[in-house]
Amino acid sequence: MPENFFEIENVSFTAGGKNKVNNVNLSIENEGDIICLLGPSGIGKTTILRTIAGLEKIKSGQIKLKNKILSSKDKHIEPEYRNIALSFQENSLFPHFNVEKNIELGSNRKIGKKKKINQKDVIKFLNLKNILNKYPHEISAGEAQRASLARSLISQPDLLLLDEPLSNVDQSFKEEIQVELKQILNNAKITTIIVTHDSYEAFYLGSKCGIILNGQLKQYDDPYNVYHFPNSIEVVNFLNRGILIPAKVTGENSLENKDLGTIKGNFIKHYPNGSDVQLLLQPEDLEHDDQSNLKLEVVDRKFRGTNFIYTLKTNSNLLIPVFVHSHHIHQHEVDEKFGIKRPINIDHIVCF
Amino acid sequence: MDTFSFHDYKADYNMRINTWYISSLLVSIVVSIPILTVFSSFFEDTSNYFEILKSTFLYEYIINSFILLFGVLIFTLIIGVGCAYIVSFYNFPGVKFFKWALILSFAVPAYIYAYSLTAFFENFGTLYSIIKSILGPGEYNKLIPKFDGMLGAILSISFSLFGYVYVLTRASFHYQSQNLLELGQNLGFSRSKVFFSIILPSARPAIVAGLALVAMETLSEFGAVSFFGISTLTTGIYDSWISFDDLAFANQLSFFLLLFILGLFFIEHISRRKAQYHSPSRGGVKQKKKLNLKGSKSIFAFSVCFLVFFISFLFPVLQMFYWTIIFPKNLLDLNILQLLINTIYLVFLSSAVLIIFSFIANYGNRVTRSKFLNFLTMFSITGYAIPGVILAVAFITFVAWFDNNIIKYYELSSIKKIFIGSIIGLVIIYFIRFYSLAYNGLKSGYERINRSIDESSYLLGYSKIKTFLGIHVPYLRNSIFLIGILISIEIIKELPITLILRPFNFETFATTAYIYASQDLLEAAAVPSLFLILIASTFILITSRYILKD
Repeated sequence: MPENFFEIENVSFTAGGKNKVNNVNLSIENEGDIICLLGPSGIGKTTILRTIAGLEKIKSGQIKLKNKILSSKDKHIEPEYRNIALSFQENSLFPHFNVEKNIELGSNRKIGKKKKINQKDVIKFLNLKNILNKYPHEISAGEAQRASLARSLISQPDLLLLDEPLSNVDQSFKEEIQVELKQILNNAKITTIIVTHDSYEAFYLGSKCGIILNGQLKQYDDPYNVYHFPNSIEVVNFLNRGILIPAKVTGENSLENKDLGTIKGNFIKHYPNGSDVQLLLQPEDLEHDDQSNLKLEVVDRKFRGTNFIYTLKTNSNLLIPVFVHSHHIHQHEVDEKFGIKRPINIDHIVCF
Repeated sequence: MDTFSFHDYKADYNMRINTWYISSLLVSIVVSIPILTVFSSFFEDTSNYFEILKSTFLYEYIINSFILLFGVLIFTLIIGVGCAYIVSFYNFPGVKFFKWALILSFAVPAYIYAYSLTAFFENFGTLYSIIKSILGPGEYNKLIPKFDGMLGAILSISFSLFGYVYVLTRASFHYQSQNLLELGQNLGFSRSKVFFSIILPSARPAIVAGLALVAMETLSEFGAVSFFGISTLTTGIYDSWISFDDLAFANQLSFFLLLFILGLFFIEHISRRKAQYHSPSRGGVKQKKKLNLKGSKSIFAFSVCFLVFFISFLFPVLQMFYWTIIFPKNLLDLNILQLLINTIYLVFLSSAVLIIFSFIANYGNRVTRSKFLNFLTMFSITGYAIPGVILAVAFITFVAWFDNNIIKYYELSSIKKIFIGSIIGLVIIYFIRFYSLAYNGLKSGYERINRSIDESSYLLGYSKIKTFLGIHVPYLRNSIFLIGILISIEIIKELPITLILRPFNFETFATTAYIYASQDLLEAAAVPSLFLILIASTFILITSRYILKD
């Protein structure tokens, strides 16, 4: 069995003497893979990055990079000898150097490495050209974050850790940077762990996503599976992309809900006939149909550019979200009735 | 101050012992030696001098120290707060000039002020000459008031030290927001009620901090009180050692004084911590509008500031200058170049040692994040509260003890000559005395460097030493410059330590002035005093921007 490029084995991450995330097992198989860690604020995501970088110690388990132990109970390689770069969420530029000099300092560690990342390219894609001569106190938080990212990229580490790398970047510029960042990381084959609270960012950038909740790594899988096959109710609630409704298993491929009727699809896990379950219903699972006799009351409507999200109330007072393309021929107002296509077919049925 | 427990010590021991820890620990221990020596000497036997003194002078020492302290505190409170209020809240001709001119009083040590005061008002002194030149010969001596004895000491020390209250109070007034003042006006308060109900209470921590510094300096004051022949605890310590050769008793007196001063130090520390609450959040404070004064009010404000500036700075400078002019022989007789070289030599050497070791201690504390080290550092920086006389005497006591017990035991050659009456000893005691100035100065610089800056540096592959030399030192270069200048000002003015520990025939401007003055040759003391004031003033002007910042 080939060795993983990076591995965390049974590590509990602590900060300020308190356990933040317990007993984590996580691996990155190949050099150049990008993974994302998602979780609410204060849960310990940053602590994980700081520990991997060597800024915090561990009391159990081990952290390995390229099959070499970086941290364990008895061993701790200092941060400066790890060849791991961490781009902090807050401004960590050297205040007495201008942006250009700050970025240049990233090249300090490229000993014996083939140059894969061009400083000029990084400056260009992060749109830093106009601020190169400015000092950290003269630039915005977003610019400082981009400069810090540039410095980390140029250092071409074995492992790049990005802590909310685009949290201060303008929304308009964010998607553009995400595309180029992914491209540059892939081209340079830089293995990266990104911490973010933005699930879209995680799903786009990461080949795998880890969900950290309640002091544990709840799920570590590729983004599609995390979204469509969440492994716990906590993950469903965290991603906030659907609701759980009560249902009864009625067959190999069907369930029954007293408000929505029969729901058909493929179970991802077997449940015996007659089982009472909680069915995950995501906004894209239901289809709008004005002709349908299944009518629900509209209680809210959110315009999201490409689509609307209608919140519908069932007879049992369940609130169900439904996507409708924004170019749909007509709109429904609050308190109006809204038709749902029957029979309801869901590609994969996730129950708890 | 962080609380410290044995558990922390164990955690420190297990986790953080490294080169930086040990270096930082050693610096803190060296600085703590005099304090520990004074405390341990309290239980030693003394000569009969103690019994004699207890029944005669001891109470006089204590009472005089109290009267002096009380008088100086009242004067500095009125002058310091008054001037700070006028320049902070009103606009009038010359306000910008007075804002920094008033801190020039820092350049005039109390003992030089005392010489000027005496010279001006004494029988047949400068004032007599002025009156005589205007009105012709006459019996004017009886009409001229005499500012000697306790009053002279109080005035000299007050005009020399009111700057502490002025600078800290002004900073506090400066950051008082317009919102706060407008709130008072909206509540229908009169201008005087706004002052007493809002302005003054909110500046209280700064005023107390300033007064505590004044109190510590007053109790440590040696030159002026000794010149006026006032017996205080500080002069008692000097006399018991110099005149009666009783080091143990000198240490016991020091113990009393030290307890007193540590109490003041504690008050100052608490006040300073509270004073931080007055720091404005960025952009959160509406800039205060100054009231434009016109007519008689404007003249009054100008007159008050000018009078204080004149009395505290111009008066001693002019007096010294006058004597230098009318007795040019003193200028020619004095080897000014040698005095300048000696002074600069001491200043450079001490500043370099102080800055280097303060850097090591600061960085050690930062890297190790050790609570034990932090506690020890807090203890060691109390050195600035200890009078120079005590430090010098405690140092001699320690060296003598070490020589008699350790060195003799191992039959090595005596170390007394290396440390007593030598530049090394002098620099060590300057180091202990001014360590807090250097340490805290660098610490406040370090507090502006986010820890993630260090961590970024490590993560870019820079070692701790490279981070220190490549990131911290360049970033803190302004702080280093400022601290260097502030230490220089203190060392140029410093008298008792230099007087006690200097090598034979090694004089500075301060010691030369003192020696002449103690021989009643005040005219001769004018030249070194004038040079001292000019050099110190230059340094103050260079740093005034920083001193007046907050």
